[in-house]
Amino acid sequence: MKYEMVAGFETHIELATNTKIFCSCTTEFGADSNTHCCPICIGLPGTLPKLNRQVVKYAIMAGLATNCEIANISKMDRKNYCYPDLPKAYQISQYDKPLCEHGYVQLSSGKKIRLTRIHIEEDAGKLIHKRGDTYVDYNRGGVPLIEIVSEPDIRSVEEAKEYVEKLQQIMRYIGISDCKMQEGSMRCDVNISVRPEGSEELGTRTEIKNMNSITFIGKAMEYEFGRQVDLIESGGKVEQQTLRYDDVTNTTSSMRGKEDANDYRYFRDPDLVTISVTDEEIDELRAKIPELPAQKKERYVNELGLNEKDAQNIAKYRNIAEFFESASDGVKNPKTVANFIIGQIFRRLETESDKEEFNIATTAEQLKELVKLIDDGKLKNNLAKSTLEKMLDTGKGVREFVSESDLAGMDENTLNDLCQKAVENNPKAVADYKNGKQKALKSIVGFVMKESRGRADAAAAEAKILDLIG
Amino acid sequence: MVTHEDVLAIARLSKLYIAEEELDDLTKAMDDIIKFADTINNASEEGVEFDNINNLSNAFREDEVVPSYDREEILKNANDIDEGHFLVRKRV
Amino acid sequence: MAEGKIKHYSDLLENKEISCKELTEKFLTEIESANKDLNAYVKVTPDTALETAKKVDEKLARGEKLSPLEGIPMTLKDNISTKGIETTCCSKILEGYTPIYNATVWETLSKNNAVLLGKTNMDEFAMGSSSETSYFGGAANPHNINHVAGGSSGGVASAVGGNIAVYGLGSDTGGSIRQPASFCGIVGLKPTYGAVSRFGLIAYASSFDQIGPITTTVEDSAIVFDAISDYDKMDSTSQGRKGTPTVDSLKNDIKGLKIGIPREYLEGIRDDVKLSIEKACEVYKSLGAEIVYFNLPALKYALPVYYILACAEASSNLGRYDGIRYGYRTDSYKDVNEMICKTRSEGFGDEVKRRILLGTYVLSAGYYDAYYKKAQNLRGSIVNAFKNAFASCDVILAPTVPMTAFEKGNAISVPIETYLTDICTVPVNIAGLPGVSIPCGFNDKGMPIGMQLIGDTFCESKILNAAWQYENAAGAEVFKASQYGVKL
Repeated sequence: MKYEMVAGFETHIELATNTKIFCSCTTEFGADSNTHCCPICIGLPGTLPKLNRQVVKYAIMAGLATNCEIANISKMDRKNYCYPDLPKAYQISQYDKPLCEHGYVQLSSGKKIRLTRIHIEEDAGKLIHKRGDTYVDYNRGGVPLIEIVSEPDIRSVEEAKEYVEKLQQIMRYIGISDCKMQEGSMRCDVNISVRPEGSEELGTRTEIKNMNSITFIGKAMEYEFGRQVDLIESGGKVEQQTLRYDDVTNTTSSMRGKEDANDYRYFRDPDLVTISVTDEEIDELRAKIPELPAQKKERYVNELGLNEKDAQNIAKYRNIAEFFESASDGVKNPKTVANFIIGQIFRRLETESDKEEFNIATTAEQLKELVKLIDDGKLKNNLAKSTLEKMLDTGKGVREFVSESDLAGMDENTLNDLCQKAVENNPKAVADYKNGKQKALKSIVGFVMKESRGRADAAAAEAKILDLIG
Repeated sequence: MVTHEDVLAIARLSKLYIAEEELDDLTKAMDDIIKFADTINNASEEGVEFDNINNLSNAFREDEVVPSYDREEILKNANDIDEGHFLVRKRV
Repeated sequence: MAEGKIKHYSDLLENKEISCKELTEKFLTEIESANKDLNAYVKVTPDTALETAKKVDEKLARGEKLSPLEGIPMTLKDNISTKGIETTCCSKILEGYTPIYNATVWETLSKNNAVLLGKTNMDEFAMGSSSETSYFGGAANPHNINHVAGGSSGGVASAVGGNIAVYGLGSDTGGSIRQPASFCGIVGLKPTYGAVSRFGLIAYASSFDQIGPITTTVEDSAIVFDAISDYDKMDSTSQGRKGTPTVDSLKNDIKGLKIGIPREYLEGIRDDVKLSIEKACEVYKSLGAEIVYFNLPALKYALPVYYILACAEASSNLGRYDGIRYGYRTDSYKDVNEMICKTRSEGFGDEVKRRILLGTYVLSAGYYDAYYKKAQNLRGSIVNAFKNAFASCDVILAPTVPMTAFEKGNAISVPIETYLTDICTVPVNIAGLPGVSIPCGFNDKGMPIGMQLIGDTFCESKILNAAWQYENAAGAEVFKASQYGVKL
């Protein structure tokens, strides 16, 4: 029997605010343990939370960018569970009135992965287990998160990976998170079940927790899919449980037993007041949402004449897309700009994060100047390529490497003199041509091009030479 | 009727241990309290949705960093610390 | 007894009849003897007190004027966080805990050079009506030390009633300021929810808790309330006082004031208490006020609603005591989870555990709708019922407690019966209203009786005005100093 995968995601994303969600400590990553803490975020008795306005704005932007409805009235709830990384023994989160609901993310196939909700909450601290001792660091405690919950609409590992990538792109585009999975600013839980192909019923699902790389998500899902199918095929039953993925052994294992089935006792946090957002405020935030990668890609293909693949590769990164758009603004052929980016510039940006950061020495204005020279026929392709290399090395503009005379083109007399010189200096080639060797003409023209350091118009030179030896 | 099992389950959620000899008395006490609490279910009226006292909304803080506390202060009241961390040491 | 003590001591200081150091030392000396009987203080802070006194004396020496509370010896309930001074909520689980920040109220008062004599006794985590659930044993009633001072702010009431503090700040979740004030024959104000910042008040039930003054006179209550009722950006539910300072209108005429008495408040009240309330009505009538009786049936479910909601919040608020960051930690354990469970089981007293368990129960899956949700909706009804009541009267008059101070040991033995004694105080907390308890007589055994005036939200001025007028008219008949403490 053939089986189908049914999967949904719960994705936690740390918001790029300056301060934590309920206190004024910095959210900066990578500091010494417990140095970004205050009485509020370590939960000292008597302290109270005060909600960071920016968190609400960012979450609404996330919702708008993923086609969600934004709630005008929302509230904060307590999720009660006791664990050493949770200083108050409850996480302040949103239960039945999340800020955003009913959205979707569209895959390149056109399929929509529906989003159930997006809510705001606080992150927990970090536990380090050493030789059976437990060390606790609360720097991350209280860092603002959004949790994006999808419907179980995902049917393959490929869709899963694209979904996560799309989320990552969108959140980076709107500037609310750096979504660095390796630093934990984006973490995914996957709910996964299997069913016979064609069946409409949902199987028993398992949840794989806290995955921090797209590669691992793919591997974990493949493994878990196989495990569930094998289990069913051999007459067993999938048990609802929470799993951990081990990237060394490439297997999943159970995190906790059924015994500990949690009862979170959600209730409204009496320390915080209602969140009320007007339609005007939502519209203001909507105006801040930039054109998103999917729309950009469409536009690059339809209006700027890029091919699908190039358009996608450029639209994927906001910095690069913006660079492309400003460098190609007003040039004859935006494809020339795209070629330089995908070719020479991408060679210098090896990793995803290099591309994300997009630290290159050349500005969009400088690239545009170069391309305009090509458009005007003043700069030939080979010269342009080598010039761009120098520009990228130094950060200097095209004029630093190409002189006025290089660009001036060539008057009639100079070209005549050069062609005359070429004929005189290449008697053998002239003779060969006269004897019917067509190729010999090329080498005479080549002489002219070399002498002129690429400035001469090759077609004009060829006509002249033919006149001279004709 | 509150049972021993109810009390033990609630205690587990509350992270409290109940000694064997306490269980009878505590179950009885809980049963009394729950019976008392149950009287609200005699109320004929459904009540009115309660939002928050004074119906407040939008008490926000601006996203501006204030320096954190010295680590020494943060760890000051802890029972056990090591290398700048709160610590729970393994015991036998 | 309309003359306030705060103003009295402030005048003595300003007129250089006594230095702040001498005044402070007098109180410290009296604490040393009286506290043996009263057990009002769980921690005395002579160094802090004398240091502040010195600053005040220097200021006086420079000829500077004092603000109303400057140099006045006072106390704080032990659930108000004081930086550098142990704050335990009278629980073993917070033994040795020294806050690294100040509660906003203490930040405000200490900037005003309030002389902190020490921290006072209370029921553990403010859960109780007699102060006897305190890890340090109960506080005694200064009018008869075989009786309790009440609770949970029993230590403050005992200290103020016993004249070993001029005033104190307590907290009131279901009556914890008003009930001990009533038991000790003094004045206790529970402000409107949101009038005084809760930042730094160790939470029992967040949507009920309010800090307020316990004083010997209404004027003192007004002075302290005016000083601490500021908007605080650290507390999302804070709004501060609305309108002019309450002292400004304290002595206003109350002719034509409509005083409402909900009949429900008089049911099941002991006769001596009822009699005092009736007498108080006569006093008010003689002052030109009008007494109107009406029904407030929503109060019927106030007590269970209070216990369900307060305990639910408490079960969550008290989850953080896990032995990791502060407070008590057990000695032996197998793993982190066992450490946490043992720490909590050994660190919390029985009453606290009972309320945590009740709170967990009413929030847990399968019970939430029947208890928590239902209680929340009934809370909504009670809020509305009071709103309607205040459309037809200016203030509400009611007994504070259906009886006088219990004998020691009685409250602790029968929890449910003790819960029932909160019947008159909890409605105010449920609806977030201001309420002030003032003395209104003594029973034949010489124990004080109290009554409360309840106002609409942010109407502290109105109830303090009505309270002052009564106090002024009734005078010595309802107020008698205890044998203890500073007489000056």
